[in-house]
Amino acid sequence: MNNPLFTTRRDFLRTTILGGALTWTVPSFVAQTFSALHAQADGALTQVTTGKDGPILVLIQLAGGNDGLNAVVPYTNDFYYQARPSIGIPAKQVLPLNDTLGLNPAMTGFKKLFDAGHLSIVNGVGYPNPNRSHFRATEIWQTASDEDKYLTDGWLGRYFDNACQGCDPTVAINIGPRLPQAFSSHMPTGISLENPDSYRFMGSGQNDDETLAYRSMYNPDDAVSAPNSGGSVSMVSGTVTLQNGQSALDFLERTSMDAQVSSDKIRAIAGKTPSTSIYPGSGLAKNLQLVARLIAGGLPTRVFYVSQGGYDTHTGQRGGQDARLRELGDAVKAFTDDLTAMGEFDRVMIMTFSEFGRRVHENGSQGTDHGAAAPMFLVGSKLKSGMLGAEPSLAPADLQDGDIKFNTDFRSVYASILQSWLQTNSMPILGRQFPTLPIVT
Amino acid sequence: MLEPLPGHLWNTETAAHLMNRAGFGGSPTDIENLRQMGLGRAVSWFVDYERIPDDTPAPDWAHPDPDEIARREAIRNAADPETRQMLQQQQYQDQVTQMAELRYWWVRRMALGPRPFQEKMTLFWHGHFATSFDKVQMPYFLWLQNETLRENATGNFNQLLIAAAEDPAMLNYLDGARSNKKAPNENFAREVMELFTLGEGHYTEMDIQQAAKAYTGWGISKDKLHYEYHRYNHDDGPKTIFGQTGNFTGEDVLNMICAKPECAQFISKKLWRFFAQDEPPQPIVDALAAEFRKGGMDLKHLMSVIFRAKEFYAPDVIRSQIKSPVQWLLASMHQLQAPLPTQPMTLVMLRQLGQELFNPPNVKGWDGGIAWITTNNLLDRYNFAAALVEGNRVPLPGLLGQMKGLLNTIAADGLLETSPVDIGPLFTPMDLSNPTSFLDALQARFLNAALAPERQGSLSDFLKSRSPLEETDIRKAIRLIMCTPEYQLT
Repeated sequence: MNNPLFTTRRDFLRTTILGGALTWTVPSFVAQTFSALHAQADGALTQVTTGKDGPILVLIQLAGGNDGLNAVVPYTNDFYYQARPSIGIPAKQVLPLNDTLGLNPAMTGFKKLFDAGHLSIVNGVGYPNPNRSHFRATEIWQTASDEDKYLTDGWLGRYFDNACQGCDPTVAINIGPRLPQAFSSHMPTGISLENPDSYRFMGSGQNDDETLAYRSMYNPDDAVSAPNSGGSVSMVSGTVTLQNGQSALDFLERTSMDAQVSSDKIRAIAGKTPSTSIYPGSGLAKNLQLVARLIAGGLPTRVFYVSQGGYDTHTGQRGGQDARLRELGDAVKAFTDDLTAMGEFDRVMIMTFSEFGRRVHENGSQGTDHGAAAPMFLVGSKLKSGMLGAEPSLAPADLQDGDIKFNTDFRSVYASILQSWLQTNSMPILGRQFPTLPIVT
Repeated sequence: MLEPLPGHLWNTETAAHLMNRAGFGGSPTDIENLRQMGLGRAVSWFVDYERIPDDTPAPDWAHPDPDEIARREAIRNAADPETRQMLQQQQYQDQVTQMAELRYWWVRRMALGPRPFQEKMTLFWHGHFATSFDKVQMPYFLWLQNETLRENATGNFNQLLIAAAEDPAMLNYLDGARSNKKAPNENFAREVMELFTLGEGHYTEMDIQQAAKAYTGWGISKDKLHYEYHRYNHDDGPKTIFGQTGNFTGEDVLNMICAKPECAQFISKKLWRFFAQDEPPQPIVDALAAEFRKGGMDLKHLMSVIFRAKEFYAPDVIRSQIKSPVQWLLASMHQLQAPLPTQPMTLVMLRQLGQELFNPPNVKGWDGGIAWITTNNLLDRYNFAAALVEGNRVPLPGLLGQMKGLLNTIAADGLLETSPVDIGPLFTPMDLSNPTSFLDALQARFLNAALAPERQGSLSDFLKSRSPLEETDIRKAIRLIMCTPEYQLT
């Protein structure tokens, strides 16, 4: 690429706008921007990753509180069957992973990944004094805070603040209608994308006067004049606030700018031929297919975020949760097959998380109420597959208010991902050192 | 604190602010009419809406359907799986069609009905006592809840809370109807304290578990038509809640919750956040909560105080909020003096912009504020603006794919078209006589304020390059002003 190396969006915009709006066709500046800035990030990194070839993290939020016990079933445990007379999954139905644990029968996709050595399960993940509110618990997972601390920036937002001051907005992409709080950062980073085909300002033609006027409305100097004045891109479920004196207008200007900058790139990629792999029809599968397209398209994106709802199974859990888990397993399997076919699987790690697990005992409506610790799933070709973290005890004496006690702090999993996968020091991001797990081979 | 706005500050700007917040915006003429009323009468016009007759008829299917149970049985007793599936699909199609009608019926009522404030409050409560079609499934129950919220919109909060709690849609959405005294379901018990009344930190896990027992017995009648108390399923033993022990019923617990000072705080704060500003200052919340308690939790009293208060008209309150999609659409329509788009077009827009009525994202309702905006839906707003103003010349490929299922059930594709707005009534010949006066008129009508200098400059350059202005240029200019950060504010 022989483009000049822009160090900020501000320089980029100044150059292109002042240099002539007709040259807006598309920036290949991004890949360079990320790596260049990454290199500048003062000692925060243990290793500099490069733009398009760097590791990618795909987060899948299982919204509503996924019941861990019916996902990874302790099929030889009497306490499990005593606590769940109507919704316990019979031993003969589970897909066994080892002598004590087996997957929910709907998770055939995950079983195949496990057998191929591409799935690992971290058991008993949680944190001290677990919160059982969907919204507060989600905030805790998104910000990686202690239970009694309220943070506004997300853990990934802090990663971007550390790794790439002023990097391109497409470095983090959320597929969905609301940007997750995990992306929230000092220096706003990340875009939300739902329809790549309509992700652009539609004027009456290419470079028509209306489009040119629209583009010129965002004076680059003003729009990005206060890069560190704070504020977050957007948030989900909870602290929806503007910080540090940022106004709604500042926020809108920045988002308009990010939309304008990113839409050209997204369009370029959307125009390329999608892969021929076959995905199931679920919304999650479609979103993962879009992620695969964006990865193949060569965006500098480090983190993709997708979510799947429907896990708040207070009633009729077997039908509801099994259907969600089937969607999850099938979608992720199709996604990894697609990535493999495109030769991209080696640089992708998938991590699932949910705000909490559920009570050990079922309630009176064939469901379960809000609980605590639960397993997390990691998927990748480079990871150490199998079981991580000790399997929690279900003996009544070992429970805390009827809930599973955690063995592994969720921030240990984040720290492991940050250090071993994203190759960055987790300390400045998580605030203290958490023990890491051997997740990568 | 909360003194009335001094008379000399009641002007076009403050009148426009009241019109936007208590209602859904208006044309310059609407705003001028409101200004002429004076603050007191203007607030009263919105708030004392009982004086204005509202004979909006309910959707024609919105009544208890005696065949409901027979229909369910027909599905359950279907001769074979194919027949069952066909009947289920048919039922689902009917429900989706009714929901489309219900959504459009409500949007029309908000836009054109005689009592905008009652509808605005109903919208507030819809986000507060959130329920969704995804789970409730029965359009009749959702309409019924909508009516419950409307009837109690500005009454006593305690009564509203009980009415909303015992409403079939809520009993269904938060599983109250499936709870039983042997193993109570905690879903409603938690959310009612966390989201509807007190906020996190003002109750314990034990309070939730104990309260869940008190709510047992609330159910839905066998014929699936209304609320019904099931004595046999109520746990009438002692419960200990907030440190008090007694054989409390569900109503007792709701009354105990309402009596806590945190409840007045929580509701006052949320109302100020919705109607005034995203980050309510604590002194204002304290003053409002005191006023709310003094008025016996009467909502109309509280809202009257809010709309008269000088704090409500402070510079950091006016135009400080991001328009919700509903506000964006209705205010645009009023400013354009245009009819509401067709049913499919209206529903496509609201859904795509993130506010599909009767389908909030979760039990917390819509977060509002900056959560309305992402890069994706900001671009959608800009493109829908073109559809509203210039007519639907822009293709909506992404949308059509996603919405196909819905569209097939509600309308032919043709109904997704919009026509260019009639600019005749919007500007005088004087307004259009030169770029400067036109730019002033544009900002006055569409922003009730001015654009940032650089955007004003861009728009001015555009207008100058097009002089003399053709109709299409005027529409492009309107569309462009709707594609600014400023236009997203109210």
